[in-house]
Amino acid sequence: MRLLNCNVCWARWVLFIFGVSLGPLSAAVDYSALEAIPIQHDGRKKPFLIFAQENALILAGKTQVPVGDRKLAADELLARLWFEPQKWLDQPLLLVDYLPLKEAVGLNPAQKYFTYMELMANPALQMRFANSGVRPGQTADALTKKTNELKTRLLTFEGLVNGSLYRVAATPVGTQWVALPAPQPEFGALKNAFQSENPVRFLEAAEIFQRMLSSLSPDKQPPGWKIHLEVYYQKWHPFRWAWIFYAASAIALGVTWKRGRTIGYKVAWGFVLAGFFCQLLGFLSRILIAGRPPVTNMYESVIWVSFGMVAFALIFEAIYRSRYFILGAAPVAVLSLILADSQPTALNPAISPLVAVLQSNFWLSTHVLTITLGYAAFLLALAVAHIALGTVIAGGKLSAELTNYVYRTLQVGVLLLAIGTILGAVWANYSWGRFWDWDPKETWALIALLVYLFILHGRLAGRWAGFGLSVGAVLGFMSIIMAWYGVNFVLGVGLHSYGFGSGGFSIALAFVAFELVFVGVAIFRKYQLCSPSV
Amino acid sequence: MISKTTPWGRILYFFGSLNFALLLLGTIAVACAVATLFESRFDTKVAQIYIYKAPWFLFWLGFLCVNLFCVTLTRWPWRKKHLGFVITHYGIITLLIGAVVGSQFGFEGNVTLHTEKPPTNRITTSRSMVQIQMPGNGPFINAPFDAAAVRPSEKQPHAFSLPGTNWKLVALDYAPQLMRDSHLEKDPAGKPGAIVKLTSAMAGQQLEIPLLLGDKATETTDLFGLAKIRWRPELPKWERRWEQETQMVFAHFAPVIQGNGAGSGIPISLSKDGRELTVGSKGYALSELTGKELSADSAKFQLMAYWPDFAMQEGRPITQSQEPNNPAVLLRIQYPAISAQRELALEMAPADCGVDYQLVRDGVIYASGHAEPGAAFNAGWMDWSVQVEEFQPAARIAGVTRKALENEPETGIQGFWAYLENGQGQKGTPQWVESGRFTAFTAGEAEVRVGYGLEVIQVPFSLRLLRFEVPRYEGTDTPANYISQIEFQDSQTGKTQIAEAKMNHPASWPGGTWAVTSGFNYKFSQAEWNPSDLGETILQVLYDPGWMLKWIGSLAICIGIGLMFYWKPKKT
Repeated sequence: MRLLNCNVCWARWVLFIFGVSLGPLSAAVDYSALEAIPIQHDGRKKPFLIFAQENALILAGKTQVPVGDRKLAADELLARLWFEPQKWLDQPLLLVDYLPLKEAVGLNPAQKYFTYMELMANPALQMRFANSGVRPGQTADALTKKTNELKTRLLTFEGLVNGSLYRVAATPVGTQWVALPAPQPEFGALKNAFQSENPVRFLEAAEIFQRMLSSLSPDKQPPGWKIHLEVYYQKWHPFRWAWIFYAASAIALGVTWKRGRTIGYKVAWGFVLAGFFCQLLGFLSRILIAGRPPVTNMYESVIWVSFGMVAFALIFEAIYRSRYFILGAAPVAVLSLILADSQPTALNPAISPLVAVLQSNFWLSTHVLTITLGYAAFLLALAVAHIALGTVIAGGKLSAELTNYVYRTLQVGVLLLAIGTILGAVWANYSWGRFWDWDPKETWALIALLVYLFILHGRLAGRWAGFGLSVGAVLGFMSIIMAWYGVNFVLGVGLHSYGFGSGGFSIALAFVAFELVFVGVAIFRKYQLCSPSV
Repeated sequence: MISKTTPWGRILYFFGSLNFALLLLGTIAVACAVATLFESRFDTKVAQIYIYKAPWFLFWLGFLCVNLFCVTLTRWPWRKKHLGFVITHYGIITLLIGAVVGSQFGFEGNVTLHTEKPPTNRITTSRSMVQIQMPGNGPFINAPFDAAAVRPSEKQPHAFSLPGTNWKLVALDYAPQLMRDSHLEKDPAGKPGAIVKLTSAMAGQQLEIPLLLGDKATETTDLFGLAKIRWRPELPKWERRWEQETQMVFAHFAPVIQGNGAGSGIPISLSKDGRELTVGSKGYALSELTGKELSADSAKFQLMAYWPDFAMQEGRPITQSQEPNNPAVLLRIQYPAISAQRELALEMAPADCGVDYQLVRDGVIYASGHAEPGAAFNAGWMDWSVQVEEFQPAARIAGVTRKALENEPETGIQGFWAYLENGQGQKGTPQWVESGRFTAFTAGEAEVRVGYGLEVIQVPFSLRLLRFEVPRYEGTDTPANYISQIEFQDSQTGKTQIAEAKMNHPASWPGGTWAVTSGFNYKFSQAEWNPSDLGETILQVLYDPGWMLKWIGSLAICIGIGLMFYWKPKKT
């Protein structure tokens, strides 16, 4: 590996850094001409646009990358890296945001983006790279994880700058695509067109270039519809439209709560259905692109859970016509969908190949979909319980109707969580060769189930009624947060390691703290209202 | 309805009460939560010893069964509306009974298969046990014993009495890590042996490795997965094959490397003025390179062309001027082909009064020499250096076993400290029993050999690996599946049967609907593989006679909850 044997001389790089600069960046040409070029990356063929966004995320942690006084869209950045790689070595492009790492290797803690040269010329960092291996069976500490993340970032940058990651050319033998050699004429023409900054020439050259590529081994090309679908999916981003509609629905319902009941309710229904339809389209696109159910990473599961919650809300709403389900579900769905799109490093939207153990559409769509639908039902119970507790906080009286809704949604959750957990055990029996072995993920699913059973049995025993059930629906969801997020992102041990990740801890913590305070206030208000002195 | 006033009735209503159920649900949930934190903090073993496999936890689960059973009796006589309730509660009991049956009469284990190895019928289970051999190659006595779970100590010793005698073996201590300090002893009947010391300041490690010809355990030593150390009668031969590539190198471009192990992987860069070329760690003036073949970093390279001011014109490279505006060179590089064996190795063989050694990277020897005792050489892996401490042309290895210190590398060898006692109360010298090795004990006239390790079961059929494949995702090294093709042979009838174990598709023996549903069936699931030896696969083996109860229980739970929540019997 190149990274490990870099013996550069400081002075040389310092001279170099001040010697060459990128010059003004103009946005003369339209980079969308390249967006649909199929490129092999990370185990599948994807459009250039998606390739660009994923790599921009790896390099800079975002898809709109600040360079000089401009923000470069991912496709422009990756096109520029392709056509004029030598100009990027001394651009502060590479994200280093982990403070302890910066301090450990003596990088400026106030700085967020660094140049390749700066990082490569840092002997302390090189030393860390050389010693950042993790032996099997050991868990890496945060610093090692972040060091390895940065190593990947630098390797990706090297792969982009030397062109080897731009694997656009199909080869007649094998499945591996290759990068184009520099003297390739159509590629040269494209580069020249880019350098001329002539939009018309660039468009023409891109077209010729793309035609040349698709004529290479035509039988190895991905179907055109798939590439275009993915481009549309990425540009149109149906999940964003979904939350906009959900938000509109919640607002419509909120402002007409007192007056204009029927008309407001109908409008809210319309918006929710529109949002639901957008989300459905988004899901279908992901299924078609990936060829599997979209519940294999945190990003997908957050979206799927909010989708399931809205679906349950619609079903209950159709039965009870109560308005509470939409009122509860819509804002929670909006928050989840915004969360999913605002944390690209913790919740990675990329469609990546599955680890071999997950390679089973049957089990993925039974076990994983069922268990996450259970989460969805509990999320709806949380949403409705918020309305119930909100009523108490506002000094109102808790209606039996509302707490019955909480109970109904909890039932759905318990049934699905039980089925999902058992299906998981059956799958483990096939895949890992044992039914149950107290793996943290399965244990936490069981704990969550026990917690909700505790809540339901406590009600049977007469220990609590509607109010207690609502409190339980909120507190019980903390065990779901642990089973869903905590095991993968906080505990980080066990066999479900393919889902492990990092980030978002402060958000999870803030959520838990908020819920605890909310429940505390509700309980306080409840006893304040009940106590005879008031 | 069962009366609440009789003593039995009172007990029934107590154990079947909702309050008791709440207590059980709450405590089990909390205990599990604590266990997962333990596991994250320490390791899986700790969580299992103190919670999941601890007697009190199993006892508590037993109480759960009692509670589930009693509560169904308190609703006697059952009516239609009780259907879901009864099915669910008995479903959980059935599932738990299935778990007990499975753990008592079934086993979990694993088996390592290799395409070039003969069939095997031995399966290593996950159960630890002690094996005691009576004197004079006598019979073996097996006793299940997990020292890590039992944790014998001076205060709580664990004694094994040996049937047919009045001797006993007493375990007094447990160590998760044992170290063996080895040294060579002269032995005229022995074979050539040596002790080498490996030191790395960077890794903060120093270890002594004993080597003895004919001793399987020291033939190949694995150095933390970094390198292999081999001790052979003669140095193995390695043949060189060359591969070739041409590379364009630009002065203004990033250094040329190829990722993913493709290509030579040698970093090459050209200075800004186009005068100096750096290959690997060496620099060359361009003027002295023309027409010559040079070697660097085990590769050979040759300068093919040079352009001071490179440009493409009509698809051909040209130079626009003689000024070094955009210097570029075309290089031909020949490098040793990477063999299937991707590894680092130090290979040694006895020679005269010392050792001959060679250092091998991916099947290519990059250094070799002769070292007498006291001599040291660099291994070329990080900063590791090797020193030959001792050499004996005829020796045996003697060793003292002790508890490993905190900062010592993991040995993966655990064990217990024990002594033998004869009928007269005479105690022998206490010693460590290491896992995977037999230790001899004596006390007066009594003598036994004691082994400790995972129980090995012989199954009534043999397995042979015909083929192992790891298909990858397109254009990557990421495995998409693992496919083991296995041939089963019945030991009695000799009938063979071929099956495939893939991810999520286990292979079964004897297979067939009845065996698979009942659990009287051996199931082989893909567990591990060895990236550096694609002929090897490790399969997880499960024999679970409780399986039928488990799935009947599971089904009952799901159906029962569904009925309870969503089925209302019509009132008559």
